[in-house]
Amino acid sequence: MRDAQERLALPTATSIWQRPIPVAAIILLALAIHGPLLVMELPATTSYDANLHIFFASHYAHHWFNPWNEKWFGGFSQTTYPPLTHQWIALLSNVVGLTEAFMLVQLAAVVLLAVAAYRFAQLWVDDRAASYAGVLAVFAGSIAFLVYSAGQLPTTMSAALFFLSLPYLYWWCRTASWRSLLKGIALSLAAASAHHVTLIFGSVLFALPVLGLAWYDARKSDQSGVSVIGRAVVFAAIAGVGVGVVLLPYWIAIIRHPIEQLPIPHASRSNLLMSWLYGMNYFIVPYGALLLALPFVVIKGASNPRLRILLLAFWVTFLLALGGTTPVPRWIFGRAFEILTYERFTLWATVLALPIVGLLVERAIDRSPRWGAIGFSTAAVASLALALGWLTWSPFRTTSSLNVDSVISFLNRDGHDQYRYLTLGFGNALSKVGTYANANSIDGEYNSARLLPEMTRYGAAQLTSAKYFGTAGMDSLRAMLQHANHYGLKFIFVHDPFYEPLLVFGGWRQVESYESGEITVWSKDDAVPAHAIPSDTIPAPWEGLMWGILPIGSSILAILFVLFLVEPPSILEGIAIPAETPESVYVNEVHL
Amino acid sequence: MKWGLALFLTIATLVLVAIAWFQSGGMKQHAMFSATTPEAAVQALMSDIQSHNYQRAFASLDPASDTDLPSFIRDVAGSDGSLRTYASLQSADVSPLHANQDEAVVRVRMNWSSAVGSLDDVRDLRVRREGSVWRVVWPKPAFPAVPPQVVSVNYLRWEVIGRNTSQAWGSQDVDSPKVRITSMNAISRPGRVVILGEVENEDTIPAYLNVNATLLKADGSPIEEEGSFDMISHVLLPKQVSPYRIDFPGIRMEDVKSVRMDARALLVPASADPVIAITDQAVSKDGLNRNVLKGDLINQSGRPVNIAQVLAAYYDDSGKVIWVSDGYVDQALMPQVPVPFAVDIPNDIAQRLKNYRVIVNHYSRTSS
Amino acid sequence: MMRVTTMFLIMTRTRSGSFYGRARLLAVAALCFCFLPIFASAADLHPPATVEAGQAFSIPVQGSGEATFYLVGPDHIVKRTVKLGGDLEIQSGEVSSAGRYQAILCDSSCTFASFQVNAAQPAHLSFFLHPSRVPVSTPNSIDATAFVFDRYFNLVLTPAVVDFRITPASGAGFSQRVPTHHGVAWMRTSSTAHEGRVQVTAVVGSVEEARVVQQVAAEACRLNVRAVPSGKMIALETDPVRDCSGNALPDGTVVSFTTIDSAGKSTVDTPIKKGIARTEISVHGRAHVSVACGVIEGNEIAVNGRL
Repeated sequence: MRDAQERLALPTATSIWQRPIPVAAIILLALAIHGPLLVMELPATTSYDANLHIFFASHYAHHWFNPWNEKWFGGFSQTTYPPLTHQWIALLSNVVGLTEAFMLVQLAAVVLLAVAAYRFAQLWVDDRAASYAGVLAVFAGSIAFLVYSAGQLPTTMSAALFFLSLPYLYWWCRTASWRSLLKGIALSLAAASAHHVTLIFGSVLFALPVLGLAWYDARKSDQSGVSVIGRAVVFAAIAGVGVGVVLLPYWIAIIRHPIEQLPIPHASRSNLLMSWLYGMNYFIVPYGALLLALPFVVIKGASNPRLRILLLAFWVTFLLALGGTTPVPRWIFGRAFEILTYERFTLWATVLALPIVGLLVERAIDRSPRWGAIGFSTAAVASLALALGWLTWSPFRTTSSLNVDSVISFLNRDGHDQYRYLTLGFGNALSKVGTYANANSIDGEYNSARLLPEMTRYGAAQLTSAKYFGTAGMDSLRAMLQHANHYGLKFIFVHDPFYEPLLVFGGWRQVESYESGEITVWSKDDAVPAHAIPSDTIPAPWEGLMWGILPIGSSILAILFVLFLVEPPSILEGIAIPAETPESVYVNEVHL
Repeated sequence: MKWGLALFLTIATLVLVAIAWFQSGGMKQHAMFSATTPEAAVQALMSDIQSHNYQRAFASLDPASDTDLPSFIRDVAGSDGSLRTYASLQSADVSPLHANQDEAVVRVRMNWSSAVGSLDDVRDLRVRREGSVWRVVWPKPAFPAVPPQVVSVNYLRWEVIGRNTSQAWGSQDVDSPKVRITSMNAISRPGRVVILGEVENEDTIPAYLNVNATLLKADGSPIEEEGSFDMISHVLLPKQVSPYRIDFPGIRMEDVKSVRMDARALLVPASADPVIAITDQAVSKDGLNRNVLKGDLINQSGRPVNIAQVLAAYYDDSGKVIWVSDGYVDQALMPQVPVPFAVDIPNDIAQRLKNYRVIVNHYSRTSS
Repeated sequence: MMRVTTMFLIMTRTRSGSFYGRARLLAVAALCFCFLPIFASAADLHPPATVEAGQAFSIPVQGSGEATFYLVGPDHIVKRTVKLGGDLEIQSGEVSSAGRYQAILCDSSCTFASFQVNAAQPAHLSFFLHPSRVPVSTPNSIDATAFVFDRYFNLVLTPAVVDFRITPASGAGFSQRVPTHHGVAWMRTSSTAHEGRVQVTAVVGSVEEARVVQQVAAEACRLNVRAVPSGKMIALETDPVRDCSGNALPDGTVVSFTTIDSAGKSTVDTPIKKGIARTEISVHGRAHVSVACGVIEGNEIAVNGRL
């Protein structure tokens, strides 16, 4: 099929160390490593955002075609966040329950990510090195960090889908195969439906290098570079229109209400050199042993003209992932620098580096099969172990494991759901309360949807964690409590006595106590029942219909295309990926 | 090409990291911790306090400082569940007052983020030169010692037994306490309308009170509704009077035709303890030449009060309430120990005020 | 016999037949009632014009064979098959609710008659006494309202006399007899001059219902402060704090002491304990001391710090 394969075709008697690892083995490995962790529902108790995504999914489970969610912020539109992963969770929740459905979708994302790393690496290196890249992806600290610490399911799913679409972009540019075009477009749309930010950045950081590679390979194979560019334009145009249509309600929401709130601090934007904890959290833990391979990545990437494009893409992504440690993100994004978070760039940088790291593994195993395998296996396992251990050792532990059953039970009885509520000191457990309580909260975990002035004017995120945002957070909380009657805010659940003085002086009374006093309930007796807050962000019914059909439809289409649109071997046989052409100096060095 | 690109990427990365380090204040931080100027020494000290690195902060002090580590920590981080223990240093503005070759006085304006809002603390610190390094001389904090004793407390406490919900219609319940707004005054302040006055619990049982005001247009439609929030004493014992203030930011007095007041009282369990005396009250100027009402709070009961809030009502010569201001005290009120307080008074109010009245709200951690 | 009440219809689904079955029954009853004038050719029904709630009675019916009898009351419907040519017995439980009833008898055709069920003798009182606390010597400050019900909790609309008996903690009691209007009797009275518990009892026949109102001291009167030396401090102490009728203000009532001396102003809000309010305060030089309780101001005295 590819001359790279031909070049690497091994005699039947070749050692097991010198054969590519089958993709089925990579999938099984991903299932074996991440399956048990997800069956234990680790992200639900250790991650920041898993419960947030479960909350979004629970809304779709009850109101598939109505993205207006009144449970947070006095009402917000879920069209401000691409719905694909949430909708899959909602679908599966009918069979296995919400949390379990989340874990299933997350497992699918992790498996797809390993396969995507393998498929993406196949574009740049031989099958054997690519298969090592796939295996290393299973153990990558950045993936474990995003899954178990950040809980960013949409990012991981979107990255997997987008990296899976890139080989099809390559083949479409090289062969003009309409099957590749359809599969690439469908996967891109599904990726956008999972997480739009990944698609936007991926277009530049992943797609452009692949396009450059296609152009480079075409020129080497005496193909027309112009036709490659032309096909890429067609791909981009169709994908652009497709994303525009599939996510139309999102674009409408974002154009009508661009994010104008004061920036909310995020540790990933800080200079990691100024705080060793941040450096550990956002650099050492996600990259793990990959950091040891960086010199090889740079030298090897620079030595090979094909890999140079990949190296440059990796370098830019690596710099962006450093957040405020370099001025590059601020130069590129301007004001948007303060809106973005940068841990996801670490994942992308990892996947971009893995093809070259795969070459390193290949070389090491060639030199010393046993020690090479042991060394890299140890490094890979250590990276994963560090990321998982950091869940316990990190001072940034979440409160997701807090038992909120008593809070939910209180809110769901005696008409308490006529009023809005607030939690203080609940951290990420806020989403758990939101998912299962009938009552509505004035707070919420999804910062981009906040439109109430008490929240947008102060530069703090969730009210439940107000104290961590210093004066801004406490001023925001104060402003909200002052307008409690306006929002029908009657009940406040406190899991941190820090907030009690403000409640006492502000006119709240403690009325209940749960979990041996760990959670107290405070009430404002003159609060009037909550009424709907008028908003011009409520999506039109047709938007709800589109939102309920197109994003999930794009993913189903992608599955069908990938399963049933098989490339005829005759098309691919004529196209060759040029062999690695190392510079002579490098060869000399290697062989000296 | 291989080495060229590899070198370029490596050097470019290092240069970019260095640029960001400078931009993030790395150099400044380095200079600050070198303490080569009096301001840098105070900044470094504040930075350590901000990051709760008290040991390093204490180590950086001048040896002439007549304090020890526990006293220093108690001074900056608070104790006894005081408001300072609920606060963290948010920012510190440093300005030199005067300096010579070996000694300087630096004014530091600390802004603390606390559980009830932001607090300002202004201190003038003496800084001494020691070789090439300047060190802060931290004044010895004076912590009044409370002698070990047993204080018997037998103040009244009210408990409430409410009506059983299973009882039939018409069975008797206890009425809510009767409260009365004894005065109300609407004034215009820059960028806002303020409603202020006093409210009295006329009943013989304690009242838990919230006062709300609705501004009305000429046609009777509401403009805005706001509550007194923490500018009132929510728990009023029998015959107790509390000032209240309700702010309406962004509203102009010309738009307001009338005000609808709503005082809702609730029967709650309460205690007459603690009694807090407010002594030596006087209007004067503070170090920043602002008008303040100063005085001391003395907890006359046996139980410590963790956080106290001073509420002051100011009257003109006709006895009308012309302003209400408040201030939180960042020290805990230990029994019989005077704790100073100061409450800001706007300049125009200070010129017109004839009389004032102060009450104290309190929060004790063990109280319900 | 099958008795179906509307409440029963809503609350359960199982007793006899499905929910839809009962709905059909109701619909048939309603149809019968609506179309009675058309079919009114069966044997006539002659129930009494008025019946007391809960009183069983019979309605004679002529003819032979079987017919279906419906009794449509204000809150329930009864349906049963009856034999013609005898007396149709109406059980006491079937007419326990006061109001207008329709009796319907259907064989080949239907006939109907209506009758009134009135409340029985008073058996229950719902008694509201407001407020639960009242200052002494306040005119028209106590409201008493009594609702008279029979033993089935039908409001007794026939006039009855409610005797409101007021028994103060001290002094002679008195009573006021008030006739009911549409089942309700009410009165208003003034609080007496002495604090304490006042019991108000509403009585109708043998039915009694008692409530209590607490008469409390009114505003403080002749509030007086005096100063006595107490070590390095000065103790400020009120005389026993009483209202103008001589009732002691309850403990816990806040009294405000204000001292103005050379150091400034000092205030202490202290609750009354055992009838008097007391505090200790340090005074610098000559000082003016004043006292207030709520909006009532007391005397002013001058003291010297060297007292």
